This record gives sequence, structure tokens and C-alpha cells, in this order.
Amino acid sequence: MIFVCAVALCGMQDPDLAAVVASESRRAGVIERCSLAVCSVMAMDAPGGGSGVVFDPAGFVLTNYHVVGEADDDYQLPQPPEPTEADLAAFRRKNPDAAPDAEQRLLARWKEEWRAEHLPRGKSHYRNKKVGLPDGQLYEAEVLGIDPGSDLAVLRLLPKKDGQQWPCCRLGDSDQLLVGETVFAMGNPFLLATDFTPTVTFGIVSGTHRYQEGAGQRMLVYPDCIQVDAPVNPGNSGGPLFNEKGEVVGINGRISIGDRGRVNVGVGFAIASNQIKNFLGDLMAGRHTEHGTLDMSAWFMNSGNGPARRRGVFVQQMFKDSVIAAAGVGLGDEITRFNDIEVRSANQLATLIGVLPSGTWTTVWYRPKQEESFGDERRISVKLATLDTGSSRDGVGDDARLASRSNRRLAAKAVERAWLDVDEMSAAVHWSRTGPDGSVVRAIRDGERLRLEIGELVLVREAAGKGHAIERGTARELTAAEAERLRREWTCNTMLWQRATSLPGLEGAELVGGVHVFGAPAFRFLLPGDGECEAWLFADGSPAGFTFRDPLRRAKVEWHVREQNLRVVVDGKLEPAWSSGNRSTGQADEAWFRRT
Amino acid sequence: MRLLPPAAWCLAGVLGAQTQDFGKAYSFAEREPRTRVEQVVDKLLPSIVKIHGASGLATISAYASGIIVSKQGHILALDQIMIQKDRTRVVLYDGSVHQATLLPEDLRLGVRLLKIDPALVQGELQPLWPPAAAEAQFRTGQFVVSLGNCFRLAEFSEKVSATFGVVVGRANTALRYRMADVKYDGDLILTDACNNPGHFGGGLFTLDGRWIGFNLRLLDSKETNTMLSAAIPTRDLLPYLEEHVLGKARSEAVAKNEPVFTGIVLFDKAGLQSPPAYVERVMPDSPAQALGLRPDDLIVHIDDYSIRTCLEFREILKKFAPGRTIKLTWKRGTQVSYGDLTLAKEPR
Repeated sequence: MIFVCAVALCGMQDPDLAAVVASESRRAGVIERCSLAVCSVMAMDAPGGGSGVVFDPAGFVLTNYHVVGEADDDYQLPQPPEPTEADLAAFRRKNPDAAPDAEQRLLARWKEEWRAEHLPRGKSHYRNKKVGLPDGQLYEAEVLGIDPGSDLAVLRLLPKKDGQQWPCCRLGDSDQLLVGETVFAMGNPFLLATDFTPTVTFGIVSGTHRYQEGAGQRMLVYPDCIQVDAPVNPGNSGGPLFNEKGEVVGINGRISIGDRGRVNVGVGFAIASNQIKNFLGDLMAGRHTEHGTLDMSAWFMNSGNGPARRRGVFVQQMFKDSVIAAAGVGLGDEITRFNDIEVRSANQLATLIGVLPSGTWTTVWYRPKQEESFGDERRISVKLATLDTGSSRDGVGDDARLASRSNRRLAAKAVERAWLDVDEMSAAVHWSRTGPDGSVVRAIRDGERLRLEIGELVLVREAAGKGHAIERGTARELTAAEAERLRREWTCNTMLWQRATSLPGLEGAELVGGVHVFGAPAFRFLLPGDGECEAWLFADGSPAGFTFRDPLRRAKVEWHVREQNLRVVVDGKLEPAWSSGNRSTGQADEAWFRRT
Repeated sequence: MRLLPPAAWCLAGVLGAQTQDFGKAYSFAEREPRTRVEQVVDKLLPSIVKIHGASGLATISAYASGIIVSKQGHILALDQIMIQKDRTRVVLYDGSVHQATLLPEDLRLGVRLLKIDPALVQGELQPLWPPAAAEAQFRTGQFVVSLGNCFRLAEFSEKVSATFGVVVGRANTALRYRMADVKYDGDLILTDACNNPGHFGGGLFTLDGRWIGFNLRLLDSKETNTMLSAAIPTRDLLPYLEEHVLGKARSEAVAKNEPVFTGIVLFDKAGLQSPPAYVERVMPDSPAQALGLRPDDLIVHIDDYSIRTCLEFREILKKFAPGRTIKLTWKRGTQVSYGDLTLAKEPR
């Protein structure tokens, strides 16, 4: 209170100082809010540890793959428990056809159900990790998805009480970052904080869209990273990089070092959040993600200057059986554009390809090499092949890996919550808290307006900082203490940023992975039923397509939809007559469905 | 153009339908700079170049940064081993690569101008020029942005790195002489804006875009095992730049001191490293004899400069002209003594 008054006085005397104090206070508010979501991630059987960030109130945590480490070979999944009579009766009610005669087969079915519900699928498994949060609590966390292709992993915190929620931070848009922008790195470097309060370091964005080739023991590639001069040190790995708004714009994972060993020299790299979003569906569904590749390498060449100069990115090496060779591109051809983006350097091309998952349909523009020159620009559509990162145990990317059904349902709910966040500012948020003395404080956030009810006193804050108090029906000006309280609730209160209501229509759906539809990442929801029908939705909840098994064609049919674009894929092959830039060209007649 | 047969048209139609735009997953498009740091970086980046040069040894990095200082293609760089005739290439902001010719270096500053052919540059070069003396002021605690291509992270048209920090202080020559590894004679701006291999040759700028410093190699003290980022104040570069870019003769002629005579002969015959400055003998009728120096005395200070080696003793004496009186400090056994010594002319 006294402090607030002092600040107000200073502000009146010196407008510059007031601006500094205001910006400081805003920054402190953002840091206070964000730091609640930053955690320490530790393996039980290894020294050291890394950091992470909670990005959903249900306890989903993003961290680095190299923090999670290799799968625990000797780890055996737990066995199903013995069911009680009530359990079996409920199971029988739910599955009326479930072998009513033989008790033994019924029991086996029940256990199988239990495994699908509670245990992950796949060949390699992780022991639970320990995750410490700034509330001072140590939680266990399950390892869900891993992304060795760009050093990411998603964990889920196990609640200590039913319905527990955690403060969280949303992912921001890393394409909006500009060199010179202020960012904060948070985490637990050198495991300094034994109470898990994160260390905050401050710096600017030194570079964007940096491609960092494989380094370290596991040769982890960072296809698109943000270079920062905020100190990032061992133990910061997996921790978040925040922009000034408090959105997670990257996951810190790597540093360039000088000749003095593994310490910070002001060159840190964070995995860009937009790249993370491309893989988030797979990660949250508990998959081992696969990155895409064209199986070629390119180099930038500059020959001469002036009018006769020749400058561009050319194919240097390629596999004979690569997707791009099959599409007609040869050695020495110039790659001009990739997915509608002009290719300006070999690093940039590596970034553009490296951030996409395997199986993504892409467009490549190239100019074939001729005797002395290059031909006209050509355009081809290619489906990215799978990049071999050497990390999968069985050589097929641990394909069967998938989180338990209960986790996938939680993940589906988490994705739904993210849709609500999109129009957060226009929707009302309610929150109430009972103090130790029994007094109740209610907060209602409605768009750009916050209403705080404390007994008979009501504090109201509008956008642009205007505020007033209502006491016994009459409005008056805010005192400094009231204004400060409102400001803090407005900027720092995580509860006001969380909502947990569900959208109708996807009841019982499970998240089973991610997919890339016309340049945007989408989530695959498995609908309840025979397990053949999926609905695809973009991060904002708009439809991205669907897939089903067509009984007439006996084929798996995918529809990819975005705005006016439509694409039909039958058994993994593009249907040219049906896929087009204009949705209206397709004719849904029975003859088409019957084609084989 | 030859008309294709109808069948080929059909085929083209099918191919046309197959090839479609699969949209932008990424936008490399950038938003407008908003904050002051963003604006300064955005404005200055086109003036910073990447320099690639000769290499051969693992310990010598073949990359550095430079600053465009004239529209005629003058580029300022640190003079270092990698910069060699016919082997130095300059990469401009737009990604174009230019062969550079070398202009005479400045030995004292350790910098060298390169020159590229402006006729081959697309568009116009965006030079920077050190601000006038009054504006080149820097203050301890002032915010600065440092630009350079550290660790060769940026290639071709990619943007070089920007780091942020404050001016930590100013280094004077006395400090320098305690740090045996620094080969620079003059004032330095010390900063905590990170400077790394490759970043040197870039610039240090204030938040209103003034160019105040030219990034030097990291100062590395083996004695204290610390490293420090430093930059040459731009106003010290002016005489060199004016001479070679504008063709102005240097106004202040560098005074060449006549050799001085002390009468001290040092024991300077051991190994590769210069040994401590022990007196081997004292010449008769010399200033040193008048002061009472004896063989086996150890010279420890000349004025404020600490003397640790015979080389430093000779280097420091070069600063003075005959007739100047210096304060000499020496150690005999455990006794430290000092006295004034007037430098004489070298006898014929």
C-alpha cells in the first residue's frame, strides 16, 4: 500500500520513471503468472534433471526428449488387478455380448479392457518421472509422446487428488517473434532451486528460424529454433521461453558453447512453438512422432554478381528411391519454392521440411537443370517420407506406441479447452475463493472487464485500466490498494485464464494423433464406435476433415478440408479427380464410391 | 510454341489437378518492428556483413563479421589471420557473395578495410559512419545492442545475431598490461552483450542507433580465467577511416619516439617466453647506475605499468622519449625500492 503510493508519487514527478515502473510491474506480473507453470523434471534413477512447462490445466507438460532420455528397457507395465464382482457386473452391463457363459473368458476380456484403459501401447516404456512444481510439491508424471526428431516430449502429471488442476501457460505464435524482441527463459539450471521455484533469465531474440543440425550423443536436430541471448544453462533443458505476453514461444534445449565447456556464452536455442504445434497431436496422443524428409540435401550456390549472376538452392545429393526423385527432380536442379514460400537458403529449406511430420503433402517448385541453364519452373506435389532418426527400437518408429485410453480422452479434453481459449476474451470466466476467515471473493471476467466481488464491495476494472468501486450501491473511485489488487488479479491470476467446459458432439472421443491438413496442424479424434471413424479438427476447433472405412470401396478414405480446399486420399493415395483447390468440383455420386 | 496433341492436354490436366498448393505451414514473413530494440536491429542489419576467409588450422575460425562504411564498398573488419589476399569473401545482407580486396591495415588498432566492387552490388550499400566525437559518448550502464555473426549461425541472406546488454565500463591501458593476452593499445568499451567467435568485427550500438563500438575479439585473461566482451570506441577508428575512405591525410602525425637509454641490460636469454625482467648488468655511467641498480634486481614497475617480462619492459619504454623521468620500482631479495630515473639518449 505504502509502496504503491510511493510509486504513484514518483510517477507524478517523473513520467519516464513512471513508464519504467509500469513496465517493470507488468513484467513482474507476467513472470509471477508464468512461473507457476514451470517445473523441474527428474528421472528417478539418474542424476541431474531438466525443466518443463505445464501447457494444460489437466497437467500436460512439455519438455525435451533428452531430459526424458531413453526408454527403460527393464520396465514392465503393471498387471491388471483382480476385478470385484461389481466391476464385472458393470462390465457385463456395458458389454452384453461379452461371453456370458464362460467366466474365465469374461475375466480375460475385462483384463484386456483394463489394459487398454490404463496402460500405453507400444514396445518401449518409460518409468514415471518426478516433476517438481513451484507449489513445492513433487508429482509423478507419465511419459506420453516423444519426438526424437526435434527433441521434444510430453508428460502428464498424475493428480494427488481427483480433478486436480494446475496453473498453465498457453503456446504462442513463434512466427511473430522478431530479432530484438524481449523474451524470458525459465527453468531450473544446475538444479539450483530445491523448492522448484524457477530461475528467470532475460534477454532478446538474437535470431529466428535457425536450423541446427544434429549434435550431441543422440544427434538431435533442431529444425527451427529461436536463438536467444537470455542465459540458458544445463538444467534449463525443456524449460519454456516466454514472450512478453507470457505465452510459451519455445522450449529451450540447446546452447552453442565456446571453448570453456558446457556453460552459457549467450547463444541459446529454443524449439519454436509453431514447430511444436505441428507435432502436438501426436505427442499428446502418446505417439513416437516421425519427421518428414525429402531424402535429399541441398546447397546454396552463388556464382558471380551483376547481370549474369546465378544464385539459388540446388539439389546436391539425393537417394535414388527418394520421393523427390520419383517426382522427377534430379541432381543439380534448383529448388525455388516450398509450400508457397520462396527458398532463400539451404538452411531455410531444411527448416521448412524439418518442421513437418512424415506423410505431409507438400508442394515443391523447382527448375530442372539443362545443358547450360535451367528450365521453366515446375510444380510437383510430394508426400514427405519418414526421416530415420535412429531412435526407434524396432526400425518402424515404434509405430504401435500410443497412450492409454484414459490419457487419450484427457488429451481430447485438453485440445477442446484450447479451442475455448481462442475466443477467451469474449467469453465470461467465473472464479470464486473462500478466504481463511470465511469471506468469499468472486471474480467474473467478461471480455475486457473484470468484476471482483468482496462481500458488499464490488471492484470493476475495464479495459485500458479504468476502474471504479461500488459500495452499497454507489460508485466511487478506487483507492490505490484496490487498484493494485485489481491490476494483480487482471494480470497474474492464473485461475482467470483457465476454463474447463467441454464442447458437445465429441463426448467419449479420444485423441489419437496429429495430421497436417493444407499447411496447418490438426488433431485426430477417434470417435466412439468400431474404431474406423475419425474426426479431424484444427487447433481452433474448425473442421479439418475426417476418415472412415468406405464399405463400398473397401478402402480407407480421408477427406482433408480447409476453406475452399479439398483433398481426397484413398488408401494413402491422392485422388486427383477429387482433390482440388475448389471444393465444388467434386461430384458425390455413387459411381465414384464404387470405383475400385 | 508447338501445340501439343489432345492426349497430352488431357495428361496435363490430370497432372494439373494433382499438383496443388498445400498451403503455408510456416510464414517466414516478418511483422513490423515495434519496440526500440527491434527497430534499431532492423535498421542496422543491412550494414553488417559476414566475412569468410582463409583457414587451415582447426583453431583458426575462418569466419567473422564486418561493417559497411562507404557506398563505394569499403568494409571494416578486424585484421586477423583469416583475412588474406584473394581468399576473403564478403556476404552481404541480401545473400550475395563478393570477393574483397585488402586495403592497408592499421597496426595499432588491429583493423583493416576491405573493398568490394559496388557495381556488382544489387541496390545500394547502406554504410554506417562513426558519429562525431560529441555523439560517440558512451556511459557505463547504457543499454547496447551488439550485432555479429557468432558461431557462423547465419549463412547467406540469413540475419546475423543480435545480443543485448549494457556498457560495463571502460578499460584503460594499465588494466591491459595486467592481462597478458590483450594485444590492443588504447581505450576499450567493456560490455556484457555477448561476444563470441565470429561476432567480432560486428558493431556495438546504442538504442537510438548510434554506432559506438567495433567488436574486438574476446578478452581472455589466462591469469584470472575470465573472458570479457570488448569493443574499440568508434571515435578511435575515425583517423584510419578518414585516411582510407575519404582520402584525408591523418591530421595528427604519429610521433615516433627516439630510442631511450637506461643502462639496464636484462637477462633475456631463456626459452620462447620472455623471462621476468631481471637485471643482468648495469652499464657504467648510465642513469641506472646513478640510481643504484645492481645485477639480479627484478624490475617490477615503470610508472603505473606492471612489468612482468623483459618484453613488457621494452614495450613500455617505447612510449617515452629521452629526457622523460620515470618512476622505476625494483625488487632486491625481499626488499622493494623505487626511484626516479631520467631516460637518456641512446649513445652513438
